[in-house]
Amino acid sequence: MAVKEVTTYRVVGKGIRRLDAADKVRGQAQYADDLHVPDAWHGVVVRSPVAHGRLRGLQRSPDFDWTQVVVVTPEDIPGHNIVDMMGRDMPFIAYDEIQYCGEPLALVAAPTRQLARTAVAHITPDIETLTPLLTLDEMVTQYKTNPPVLHELSAKQIRKGQGAAALADADIVLEREYTAGHQEQLYIEPQGMIAIPEKDGTLFIIGSMQCPYYINPELCETLDIPPERLRVKQAAVGGAFGGKEEFPTLLAGYCALLALKAKRPVKIIYDRNQDILYTTKRHPAWSRYKVGLNKDGTLHAVQCEFLLDGGAYTTLSPVVLYRGILHAAMGYRCPHVAIDGHVYRTNTFPNGAFRGFGAPQALWAWESMMDELADAVGLPPHTFRLKQALQQGDTTPTGGLLRDSVGSPAVLEQTLARSGFADKWSRCSLGRAEDKAWYGIGCSFFAHGAGFTGDGEARIKAKVALDLEPATDGQPIVNVRVSSTEMGQGTCTILPQVAAEALSIDIAHTGFPMPDTFKVPDSGPTVASRTAMVVGHTVFQAGRKLKQQLEERVAALLFEGQPVELRENEFHGKYDAQTVPFMKGAAAVLAADGPLRVYDQFKLPAYIKWNQDTFEGDAYPAYSWGCNVAEVWVDPLTLEIKCHKITAYYDIGRVLNPVLALGQLEGGLIQALGYALMEKITIKDGKYDADRMQTYVVPTMLDGPEMDIHFLEYPYADVEPGAKGVGEIPMDGLAPALANAIARATGIRLRDLPLTPEALLKHGGFAAPAQTA
Amino acid sequence: MNKVTRNWMINGTPHRVETPPLRRLLDVLREDLRLTGTKEGCGEGECGACTVMVDDEVVLACLLPAGQVPDGAEITTVEGLEKTPGGRLLQEAYAEKGAAQCGICIPGMIVSSYALLRRGPLQAPDAIRTAHAGNICRCTGYKKIIAAVEWAAERWPETVTPTE
Ligand code: FES
Ligand code: FES
Repeated sequence: MAVKEVTTYRVVGKGIRRLDAADKVRGQAQYADDLHVPDAWHGVVVRSPVAHGRLRGLQRSPDFDWTQVVVVTPEDIPGHNIVDMMGRDMPFIAYDEIQYCGEPLALVAAPTRQLARTAVAHITPDIETLTPLLTLDEMVTQYKTNPPVLHELSAKQIRKGQGAAALADADIVLEREYTAGHQEQLYIEPQGMIAIPEKDGTLFIIGSMQCPYYINPELCETLDIPPERLRVKQAAVGGAFGGKEEFPTLLAGYCALLALKAKRPVKIIYDRNQDILYTTKRHPAWSRYKVGLNKDGTLHAVQCEFLLDGGAYTTLSPVVLYRGILHAAMGYRCPHVAIDGHVYRTNTFPNGAFRGFGAPQALWAWESMMDELADAVGLPPHTFRLKQALQQGDTTPTGGLLRDSVGSPAVLEQTLARSGFADKWSRCSLGRAEDKAWYGIGCSFFAHGAGFTGDGEARIKAKVALDLEPATDGQPIVNVRVSSTEMGQGTCTILPQVAAEALSIDIAHTGFPMPDTFKVPDSGPTVASRTAMVVGHTVFQAGRKLKQQLEERVAALLFEGQPVELRENEFHGKYDAQTVPFMKGAAAVLAADGPLRVYDQFKLPAYIKWNQDTFEGDAYPAYSWGCNVAEVWVDPLTLEIKCHKITAYYDIGRVLNPVLALGQLEGGLIQALGYALMEKITIKDGKYDADRMQTYVVPTMLDGPEMDIHFLEYPYADVEPGAKGVGEIPMDGLAPALANAIARATGIRLRDLPLTPEALLKHGGFAAPAQTA
Repeated sequence: MNKVTRNWMINGTPHRVETPPLRRLLDVLREDLRLTGTKEGCGEGECGACTVMVDDEVVLACLLPAGQVPDGAEITTVEGLEKTPGGRLLQEAYAEKGAAQCGICIPGMIVSSYALLRRGPLQAPDAIRTAHAGNICRCTGYKKIIAAVEWAAERWPETVTPTE
């Protein structure tokens, strides 16, 4: 096992307190709605009441005094009426065909929100209604019976070996279907944005967002302004989870269009109901597997159809699909693979980024399937997994070689051992009539690709800067300048830790100012579990450059030219015992030369080969690995499902900050618990029925199981300090582990998320047949 | 529109407020007094981000009409905690244990913790969980928040209980 030699770090690997902790516990952090912008008007969006239709016109009632407000319609858009994401199919403001309930038809701004809403109530759209396609169920039915009816937003396939043809030589073939519903990110800070036209002609956008460099340039085309006149800055973000990745561009666009027309600042702060109704959700998904096994229980061939409900427009769905299919047969050796992925349109709000980005949906089905396959060959699920878990030197479904930093099968073995899995598994209830409570245990095992898919990192070329500059108190500080954002996950602390490590200085001398496109280079979006690995590495390289430059300047300024090393917060002369504290040396450099900036840029290792057309090669530079064991009690009378314990190991490469990393895993697992057991949205009259926190129920402090979480570090050798990703992987495995546990508790296999008492009842819960296959 | 006048002690400072009686306490705090530490996560009593204390009671400022808060009431928001030894201890506990991630739930959460701990030593084993059941946090999974409150409970300054 190529475990990278343990290097001793001073700052990395320590549970250093978050740099923003003091502000946050004192209520001082400034979120979008906390910013005081004098004279700002409030924007409100006029929305379509129907899910599918053709807009004939908008009537403005003569009973309202329209001079008090500003109204924006497509004619007011200076540039193209297009939101340019991965497809160019979505207008900012609908003007012809309406594709979902709530699609914007016009924008209104007024001095008060109340007046803006009154104005909206005086606008009546004239719409010819068309038949909508609304649900995943309808979509799957069409897919099975009449696929040409569907509007395809994206498609991709993976082929390995003989593909599906190899099913013919399998000893056992098992076919199963699984579905997963919407999930709402439900960050506690609803989305909010402010656009401020500045005197010098710049437009300043500030608000709740993950990716400032999505908004600029995406908005430039719509507003028809040059990028250097659009300044985007992040306010403190009260949670995002993907939900503030691509859609803040829309909010920014609404505010910007209104602000330009009103010639004054405009802000839009969604209330919770609007936020749930009019922002993205996790894509509902359907998977159908046909898997061929050899008699000895090894995988022979996997055929998988993976469908995503994209909602109304393309947005980011293609990449969600890619990540989905890349994880749909991951984790185990299998010579023949055929995966076909499709995203189809439904007339619902476009689905989008959410922590895990397609992988949780794919793994939900695949890791449930693994248990069903184990049953089919008569092996316990842990034995079945251990038999074929990928190892260093194996290839992935796309033929990528697992070269290095492979936490498999160690995380699987350790989790099974620590949880006492084999023994507990043999003592599960299986719905025995005499048991007063049904006990079950289940596991899941998974990899999560770190960084962008394929050659994404090669194309983005993440750029970072480190600034040595005077802080507000005049003292020198090293500021990390990146577009990677803090949204709760800890970027504002881990990147300064890495910088401090590379420079060999104390974290107290580093800072992380809020990203502002006028001040930071583009280090790429804060997504895809890429920040610690890719941006972290690039910050480390920049830190080394800055260190060298500082050493040279301090040598000249304070050491009469003798070579100097910056080590443990002091400059050390080579020939004498003289040392100078970092702050003194840095102050001397600042006084002599002024602020100093160094840049660095990420380069993908040359051996990474990827074919975006055929989906062959190294899909990701590295993978994080995880294993979840879930234990449940099911009440035979009420069928209530209670998860009381989760045991998990994760290989996320080098752990940069164990407190923050654990926080990601604990929080992600509870979000995954909600996805698995509680969070449910159905569509009624074209709208989500759960559109408030009263009806969209997420875990509270009373719902949390005991969590026994551990790290196994297999640092990724091609980056410093060797981190892989931690943000998304906690979403990946809990739902199937729970379904597998529930099957052992009740004898009932649930194949649709969420896993509820009602679903158990529908499958004959009280009769509790020992159904295995 | 009719307005009522109220004299409140907010975070130890006297404030005279004139407001329509049905205006939410949350809006009076955030918009009129610009005490923006208290957050709005749902506006309907489900998330707890707007939790403040009125006298010794924990209330949801998004549900409470300002007119119902009597003259002379003492209001404590997140901004007031650092003026008390218990509040400072809790802030230290939250920061030290990594209990805040995005931080948006924290102003309400920590006020719930403060209200719980100043009532005296924890009695029931699930006292912490019950006292924060109305505060939703989507980031942390609650484990580090519970650890922070336990840590603070162990060190709670005796001299300040129950009336600091
Ligand atoms: S804002 Fe008051 S409970 Fe959510
Ligand atoms: S820290 Fe983000 S919601 Fe609690």
